[in-house]
Amino acid sequence: MWIFTVITEYVVHAIFAVGVIGIIIGFVLGFIPIIGKYKLPIQIISLLVFTLGVYLEGGLADNKEWELKVKEVEAKVAKAEAEAARLNTELQASLTTKNTVIKEKGETIIKYVDRFKDREVLKTIEGPERVRVEEVIKYVESCPVPKELLDIHNNAAKLSKQEGQKK
Amino acid sequence: MKFLASILVLLSISGCALFQKPVPVVPKFPDPVPELMKKCNDLKTIEGDKVAITELLKTVVQNYTLYYECSNKVEGWQDWYNQQKRVFDNIKP
Repeated sequence: MWIFTVITEYVVHAIFAVGVIGIIIGFVLGFIPIIGKYKLPIQIISLLVFTLGVYLEGGLADNKEWELKVKEVEAKVAKAEAEAARLNTELQASLTTKNTVIKEKGETIIKYVDRFKDREVLKTIEGPERVRVEEVIKYVESCPVPKELLDIHNNAAKLSKQEGQKK
Repeated sequence: MKFLASILVLLSISGCALFQKPVPVVPKFPDPVPELMKKCNDLKTIEGDKVAITELLKTVVQNYTLYYECSNKVEGWQDWYNQQKRVFDNIKP
């Protein structure tokens, strides 16, 4: 509330106290002659001051409660931000590990394919299996993939790109 | 006098309701994981006329690798969303 930037907490208590004292004077001590003379103005003014005091006291209490709520939420937000950062770090590490494993597995398969290309695979195979692998190598060396089939593969690889569109 | 007192009491009671205001704390939108912000790579194509079946096979394996990397990112986004939503839901006062 803007008024609490202008007046202090003590001023609010003072207004309230003046109102209470005014009500006591105006409504209880009216029998005293000097007070009895100004009884009505004292009653009216003290009621107005008391009301203002109650209003400001209520506002002050509410303001304090609000400030506590703000601090509570700020603490929650700070904790949540720290938690979010920690989870992000964990997720980043998990993603990096998964990607590394995927790459390594892919490279292992590619290396295995290369063993057919450079005949390395024959060094580890003996017997009838070797004859079969030699046939495979012969096929690899003598039978290139037709251009039409490569085009089908390439078109499928570019499936998500429309004509003339650059990603 | 009683009427004035009643009005003033009502005014002072309504005062508290007038002070109610929202908590001005806005949580910062969480940063995404940098790895997830990278775009998925394009699938590889094969160039040339006379290409051995092993070259085709290698490209297919490389494309599978790219697919799994991209799939990993999508699952990463799903995990990120679920985690951050859980954290955000805990903030609500």
